[in-house]
Amino acid sequence: MTLRLAALLLLGLQLHAAAPPFPQRVRQIINAFAHPATPAPLSYSNIAAKLKLHESPAECSSRLQELLAEGPSGDMFWMFPVTAIAYLDQGQLSEPARQAMRQSLKTYMPYRGDTENHWLLYYTCLYLMAQQWPDLTADQWFTGKSSQENLREAAGWIESWVKLTTTRGQGEYDSPHYMGVYLLPMSYLAEWAHDPAMKRRATMMLDYLIADYAAESLDGVYVGAHSRVYDNGAVEKWNNVSSDFGWLWFGQGYPLPSPSSFLLFYTLANAYEPPAILQQIATDRSQPYTHYERKRTRNRWRFYDELHGPVYKTTYMRREYAVSSDQGGTLQPIQEHSWDVTWHVPDPRGVQNTLFSLHPYSSLRELQTYFTFPPDQGVAEVVSSKKSYDSPDKFVGGSPYEQIFQDQDSVIVLYDIPPGTRFPHINGFFSKDLAEVREDPSGWIFARGGDALIACRPLQPYAWRSIEGGGRRLFSPHLRNGMVVQVAARSEFKDMDAFRQAILALRLEFKLDPVPTARFRSLRGKTLQCTYGQPPSVNGAPVDYGKWPLFGGPFLEAPVDSQQLLLKHGAARRKLDFRTLTVQ
Amino acid sequence: MPSAKWIPLLAMLPCAIAAQYTLYTCMVTSKGYVVGAKLPPSGIFRKAPNGGWRHAGYNHPFLSALDFDPRNPSVLYVAAGNGLIQVTGQGEHWKILTGSDVTELMDVSVDRNAPADIYFSHTRGIRVTHDGGATWHDASAGLHRKYTMAVRVDRQRKGVLLAGNEEGIFRSEDGGQSWKLAGAAGYQALHLEQSPHDPCRWLASTQGGGLFASTDCGVTFESNGSLAVDRNLSDIAFDPASPNRIAVAGWGLGVMLSEDAGKTWQGRNTGLPTTSVWSVSFDPSTPGRLYAGVHEEALYVSQNYGRTWTKDGLEGSRVFRLRFVPEVQP
Repeated sequence: MTLRLAALLLLGLQLHAAAPPFPQRVRQIINAFAHPATPAPLSYSNIAAKLKLHESPAECSSRLQELLAEGPSGDMFWMFPVTAIAYLDQGQLSEPARQAMRQSLKTYMPYRGDTENHWLLYYTCLYLMAQQWPDLTADQWFTGKSSQENLREAAGWIESWVKLTTTRGQGEYDSPHYMGVYLLPMSYLAEWAHDPAMKRRATMMLDYLIADYAAESLDGVYVGAHSRVYDNGAVEKWNNVSSDFGWLWFGQGYPLPSPSSFLLFYTLANAYEPPAILQQIATDRSQPYTHYERKRTRNRWRFYDELHGPVYKTTYMRREYAVSSDQGGTLQPIQEHSWDVTWHVPDPRGVQNTLFSLHPYSSLRELQTYFTFPPDQGVAEVVSSKKSYDSPDKFVGGSPYEQIFQDQDSVIVLYDIPPGTRFPHINGFFSKDLAEVREDPSGWIFARGGDALIACRPLQPYAWRSIEGGGRRLFSPHLRNGMVVQVAARSEFKDMDAFRQAILALRLEFKLDPVPTARFRSLRGKTLQCTYGQPPSVNGAPVDYGKWPLFGGPFLEAPVDSQQLLLKHGAARRKLDFRTLTVQ
Repeated sequence: MPSAKWIPLLAMLPCAIAAQYTLYTCMVTSKGYVVGAKLPPSGIFRKAPNGGWRHAGYNHPFLSALDFDPRNPSVLYVAAGNGLIQVTGQGEHWKILTGSDVTELMDVSVDRNAPADIYFSHTRGIRVTHDGGATWHDASAGLHRKYTMAVRVDRQRKGVLLAGNEEGIFRSEDGGQSWKLAGAAGYQALHLEQSPHDPCRWLASTQGGGLFASTDCGVTFESNGSLAVDRNLSDIAFDPASPNRIAVAGWGLGVMLSEDAGKTWQGRNTGLPTTSVWSVSFDPSTPGRLYAGVHEEALYVSQNYGRTWTKDGLEGSRVFRLRFVPEVQP
């Protein structure tokens, strides 16, 4: 073992030692909301946290009445704090406050929303509220349905979501922000559902969702690819809700300066502590590994024959870095993040520890595929809340003109952008935190990110554009385009020049007309070939996407349609079986 | 039909005539709205006898269309984001008739010859109930692509339907069990209307393809000329008082009016703040009166078939649908 590796391990141990035990982490989060540093009228979050600690019930009651009298807003994002308050009450709230809460479910109709996370929040809250007030008649509910009707409908949707997720994968998959919106409902149901089957199902889904994160996290940072990520979180990988959860569950990394409300409500309900095997999966990076996942697209309302398309994810992970990708295409609207290299840094706060490229695509067609937007307002509506959506400089979003192929830590990205496409160029994100950047006469760009050595070969000429806040954007205005990327650990080479020599010795052939194609002998000794629009191949064998597992790799195993997930670490095994609702 | 010389006089007596219909809107107040903020009053607004607007029922952002039970017009059916909603009590009492298996409804149409049969279109096709909403069945099995913006039941023939989806206009004669392409192939059909004068005359608006017309009861549709080709037409209105007068609304077009059954068109936008118009409707009680919902501006009213307009209320709104509902059984 090298001295550098030993030092890293020691540092890692120190970081883990710095995190308090799980119950204290939970308490820390709740305290942050129960006792806010800045005096202000209590929010729903503050009230819920105080009730959890059995503090100030009179103040909570009167403030809750005030908030409800102001009129609810936020739809399902109003429902989840109020549902938690209803369950954390436990006799603390005044009867008028309780009645005000009950009454609001008659007088306010939350919109059910248009995404999977909206529906899961909505139906989880409806389920628990119907359970809380089980005998109300239809006229007492905003739905116009009785408590029992609401309960049945909500249970049906939740069960169907669990089944779909454990057979075909999650739709809003691996989002470092929206993961919180899936964990929260499962935490609620695991804690508060009376039906033992629902309670069991939700608890198992917590294992499932946490496992999904654990295998693709690097010391508390969620690596790509993601269904949805915000602009800041795409380039500063730590700056996501996932950092809160990674810290809570495994004591890794650093939580956000202000904990997310998703994290708070997770802890206020079940505050599920992952079993040891998940801790091991999340933290054991002693050996490099390749992890596969199959997910599904969001609902495609238009332009496709199937409601969901498959998403094929590959993640190569080692202690120094991760490389991850999907197959490219518009698999999700607006916020897709299709591939990246993420390198480990001891403290990722403020660090842009990533590199990636994309075609900045925006279109009414994309929006109308996934939403009900009317034709003339779709793009403007999205831009009103997702400012970068229609920007040529953007760093999030999928493109129908991008194809990605990854094998271990090698990536081939090809672009075939039709003439006339809005934003006819590609963007590459080159972080301010890259070191030793060198544009080689060979056409390769060499750089170091932490202990990751990165070689990147743009297939067309490019120019550099500065990025506000630091870093550079590789701008290449060529329609048939691409990039070949090879990453290695610093420990594998004497120095950057040795890495450079090794890369230059690898055979790379490519041509861009009539369609982009690249053939690359990878650092790992494989011949990778990718031609735009065709299945890629490894050593001449086409990749068989039909055999892609729901989860595959050293830590997680699940065939498509199985409704099962096997967690593995060393000799330890934990099998979740959603058909029988058992854990073995 | 009143003779032309009586029309101005009749127009001066709105109260007596307005009692025959109530104007409902499906709208959202979206101007300046930021996602996550408190939603300004949105949902159903109904025009009060004094001319003002009254918000009825829940505050809700996603109501697309509205129809009524011909046996009892006080019972409304609203296509909404949360499902198909039955609305009673002058808009105040709501009941969601559908479950978790449908989302984001686009249109609703009650079969005038079988009022327990209600059809709605949504993101995944068309559904029908034959028992007033107790149970629902798929009515789009024969359609290749499911997302359906518009559905209408022929007012004269039970179970004869027209629907508009991303592949054009389709017609069914068996309550949605089977469908045939009727026209506008390859265009997303946005809206369908049947003439109140001639049940065999239909108009359909499309995304980018202009207006399509049928004169054979919806069996076939042909392009109605070049009006709004490359633009999007969001609404169509037949004047109940005149078989040849038609208005359409669209983005960048504003309100276009034809006096010759669609052969020629004139822009009627003087006084409108923009030409981004969601909806248009003739007042069946008051000849000459026309309403138009202007994008995030307001609902506008004209007393002279759109030659001039004045603001009528609902400021900052998008009025997706205007519907005059009879106060008694038609």
